Amino acid sequence: MADATPKSTGKLDSKAPSGPIEKRWDTHKFQMKLVNPANKRKHTIIVVGTGLAGASAAASLGELGYHVKAFTIHDSPRRAHSIAAQGGINAAKNYANDGDSVYRLFYDTVKGGDFRARESNVYRLAQVSTAIIDHCVALGVPFAREYGGLLDNRSFGGSQVSRTFYARGQTGQQLLLGAYSSMNRQVDRKNVEVYSRREMLDLVLINGVARGITVRNLITGEIESHAGDAVLLCTGGYGNAYFLSTNAMNSNATAAWRCHRRGAYFGNPCFTQIHPTCIPRSGEHQSKLTLMSESLRNDGRVWVPKAKGDKRSPKDIPESERDYYLERIYPSFGNLVPRDVASRQAKFRVDEGRGVGPSGEAVYLDFADAIKRLGQAAVSEKYGNLFDMYEKITDENPYEQPMRMYPAVHYTMGGLWVDYNLMSTIPGLHVLGEANFSDHGANRLGASALMQGLADGYFVIPYTLGNYIASNPLPKVDISHDAFKASREDVSLRLNRLLSVKGNKTVDDIHKQLGKIMWDLVGMSRNEAGLKTAIESIRQLRSQFWSDVRVAGESNFKNSELEKAGRVADFLELGELMATDALERRESCGGHFRDEFQTPDNEAKRDDEHFSHVAAWEYAGSQGDKVTWTRNQEPLNFEYVHPSQRSYK
Amino acid sequence: MAEQKGMTLNLKIWRQAGPKEKGEFLKIQAKNIIPDMSFLEMLDVVNEELVRTGKEPVEFDHDCREGICGACSLVINGNPHGPEVATTTCQLHMRKFKDGDSIVIEPFRAKSFPIVKDLVVDRSAFDRIQQAGGFITANTGAAQDANCIPVPKKNADLAFSSATCIGCGACVAACKNASASLFTSAKVAHLALLPQGQAEREERVLKMVAQMDAEGFGGCTNTGACSAACPVEISLENIARMNRDFLAASIKHR
Amino acid sequence: MQNVSRKMGWLTSSVGRKQLIGVTGLGLCGFLVAHMAPNMLILFSAEMYNKYSHALISNPLIYAAEVGLLLLFLGHLVFALRLSWMNWRARDTRYAVMSNGPKRTAWAQRSLWAQGLVILVFVILHLITFKYGTHYSVTYDGVEMRDLHKLVVEVFSEPAYVIWYVVALFVLFFHLRHGLGSSLQTLGINHPRYNCAIKVASWAYAVIVVGGFLSQPIYVYLLQRG
Repeated sequence: MADATPKSTGKLDSKAPSGPIEKRWDTHKFQMKLVNPANKRKHTIIVVGTGLAGASAAASLGELGYHVKAFTIHDSPRRAHSIAAQGGINAAKNYANDGDSVYRLFYDTVKGGDFRARESNVYRLAQVSTAIIDHCVALGVPFAREYGGLLDNRSFGGSQVSRTFYARGQTGQQLLLGAYSSMNRQVDRKNVEVYSRREMLDLVLINGVARGITVRNLITGEIESHAGDAVLLCTGGYGNAYFLSTNAMNSNATAAWRCHRRGAYFGNPCFTQIHPTCIPRSGEHQSKLTLMSESLRNDGRVWVPKAKGDKRSPKDIPESERDYYLERIYPSFGNLVPRDVASRQAKFRVDEGRGVGPSGEAVYLDFADAIKRLGQAAVSEKYGNLFDMYEKITDENPYEQPMRMYPAVHYTMGGLWVDYNLMSTIPGLHVLGEANFSDHGANRLGASALMQGLADGYFVIPYTLGNYIASNPLPKVDISHDAFKASREDVSLRLNRLLSVKGNKTVDDIHKQLGKIMWDLVGMSRNEAGLKTAIESIRQLRSQFWSDVRVAGESNFKNSELEKAGRVADFLELGELMATDALERRESCGGHFRDEFQTPDNEAKRDDEHFSHVAAWEYAGSQGDKVTWTRNQEPLNFEYVHPSQRSYK
Repeated sequence: MAEQKGMTLNLKIWRQAGPKEKGEFLKIQAKNIIPDMSFLEMLDVVNEELVRTGKEPVEFDHDCREGICGACSLVINGNPHGPEVATTTCQLHMRKFKDGDSIVIEPFRAKSFPIVKDLVVDRSAFDRIQQAGGFITANTGAAQDANCIPVPKKNADLAFSSATCIGCGACVAACKNASASLFTSAKVAHLALLPQGQAEREERVLKMVAQMDAEGFGGCTNTGACSAACPVEISLENIARMNRDFLAASIKHR
Repeated sequence: MQNVSRKMGWLTSSVGRKQLIGVTGLGLCGFLVAHMAPNMLILFSAEMYNKYSHALISNPLIYAAEVGLLLLFLGHLVFALRLSWMNWRARDTRYAVMSNGPKRTAWAQRSLWAQGLVILVFVILHLITFKYGTHYSVTYDGVEMRDLHKLVVEVFSEPAYVIWYVVALFVLFFHLRHGLGSSLQTLGINHPRYNCAIKVASWAYAVIVVGGFLSQPIYVYLLQRG
């Protein structure tokens, strides 16, 4: 069946079109093959994950007539963590008449990503951004509006133009519910079937092509096979490798990691985004962290005491003994510097011993001046819901005393490597949304994650998937094929192995340990010695996991401990790869800060000569507990936006 | 971090092995509970202890733990999502309880929410109600410019207040009739308040109500328990709007 | 999972049935006013009271009116029972602990159905006592008619009956106070601008109707008792 294998054109061929950048996507769309409308019904497409990317892909492919099977680990597709995004979604509509354009959004995204993203992809993202807003409004997404009834925009995350569309502080929720509703319409039309409470535990390859998945039914424990003509992975990021992050408890990398082990390259795993304004942890019991919208920095002033170890109440620290360090270091951007810079500076203050709060791991975000200037009512109008949320969690009233904030892991720019068609190095396996290595380079701008998830699902994959289906012979396969059986056996074996260790450590014990290693050594700043220690410690922890973990319960029932165990086992490998990638990337860029590579005033120093590329890691096998990888590179060329040093002074 | 000495709480937690099995309360003490913990973090502590002593942990649904995903549930001392108004269980903190308190933890109970295991219930009926009509028929790529149709800010804000429903099911859990009216009406109202939702307005309300009934939820008797328990304070006005639209649609529909 | 097959139709839906209960309830509210107001004549004179009753029951249209009233009543009752049964089944297991604090709802609102059952018993007894009670006769201006006044005075001289009557009327008070607003909500009338007025009107209506009805046995018991 050699003729059944899709054409391979070299594993790291980005397939990015050439020519004038504003024409590339249009030309590419025209050049792509189409699937006969009558034939679409005969093609089953497997969509894993029902967040913004997955739900929008399932909906738009269902509309085209494909037979879509959508899988979610949750009890309902609507629970996907896209729902928690607060701030907004960018689009180059220029409704604000302030000089925005597709080109400017493209430019800002490439620059904001510290020149580590593919220009063609980013331009396409900026191009389709406007259609996303149109479509979402048509679906009934209740965006904020002006009194005249037109859409309202705000500037977000230090952007110079107002291009962010929002629905109070719940934009992600409203966009996800919009995509969910349009997927529901396709369920009603019988084009989409939703499989809830299913966890993808393996990718099934036949002749090197992705032809199905193996999932565990989380209620009955049954191992099921599902066959299709293509697999779309829309399973989000891997921030939970750090244990504590703003991700939801069930967010995990297992589906992506299983694909990686089947041959999909992992792009830039070390690129993680640490969000500067999260509520600090309050103790060992902490299970997750809560983000407070970036918009708070528009009016709040960040400070720490000038003296080390100053334990006085903030009210008792006079103005002259406070250090408004962002305003001091970055006089022109002040408190509005990008996320990576704000996070790093907070860490520096804590490392100096000037952190505040009971743990000393926080800085103040103070609204006293804003309240004096605008009045409490105006501040409450803008941030009331955030202040209430803060008070609910910390029992402190932010109108009376400054908020305590500390950075937390929030988003991962890295992910499975994909070409311009969103296809991974495994033919047929497409990766969308945060799960792919994405268009954000080394640092994502605020309000761009929602944009990318929906762009991939609504406006990119419907075209590129058609091209894949039309260009490749896809002989019919069903789940009686040996490959499915073998995969089911692998999965069962692994689950049984997890259950049979019967050691003394709980899954969370080990996950917390991994999180501590990751946060301390692969967190906001990294260095060679630390990364080497991290790699060694993670390997040890992994052996300890497989020899001393205790997973309660059985595999043939609902068993959340077993679910967690499988995910942590994968984080224990991914964590090592993240540290390895960070070690190999001997430069600082975006969210990846290496102590050795900084300017005299502590800013990130890129090395474009050696590192203007995507590091795409190939799984090279494992022996016992040892895993090996090969580092491949996709060079990045910047024809339009020329790399420069970011400066926010 | 130094070991903090915390509260001890006497818990009665509902345990049920499967949908058809008989359930019973597990009596257990939660020790060293500190006031800053969330309710679910308190259950994490209980579960870790169960695992360490070789027992199966208690299953409960949860995900975002910031009050927006709607996965967490629980009826705590008789109240869905606990005693605090406008709060999900994951945002309920232990400082609302005192050392030595007794806490009874039950699953959401309704015929249409069968128990899966322990405190986990099957809320897929909600998805099917949405699938019956909780959408606007608009194919990807077909939309005109987003600013073509102005929407009065008041209507947009009202639509948002309805659309903010997190689909947790507390309304059903609180209602003595296990009625899904607040949930269903929130979506009906959200789309009925927007110009984009007008074309299918009649069809939508008829189909969604029919599906709600077919799922076996009870009818609304206007007690208001749903809205009182709702963590995002969806108003009873939505139910009135659904009733109004349903009546009009029943009369006009061909 | 497949979607459950849906039946669409006003009277087969929970909302439609509830609206029928609401509409019939409002109709019965109208009846109560029409019943209570003329009966206040008992406070003035036996003759006026009896003459009014006679005019009412000797009118041939009374049969049509009675059928209409019966239909309203049965519609209200049957659909309320059906809905209550369906509601009872929808919550097949009970909680070990009752809701409490701010999430607890008003008792009167939760027990509309039970109030309805008390009222049903009351109405049956009421019909047996009066409509089908002892037939006394009286003659005014040469016309012989039923002396309902005598029967009423006789019945309301019985303290046990008066107490039961007062209790039943209190139940009716709650039923009306909540039922009226509830009917309007069911029919889709809920607007922040008018909700306060609706609440006040429901109260006023219940106070007036029940007050009017209450005044009759109390007046008779205190002042007319032989």
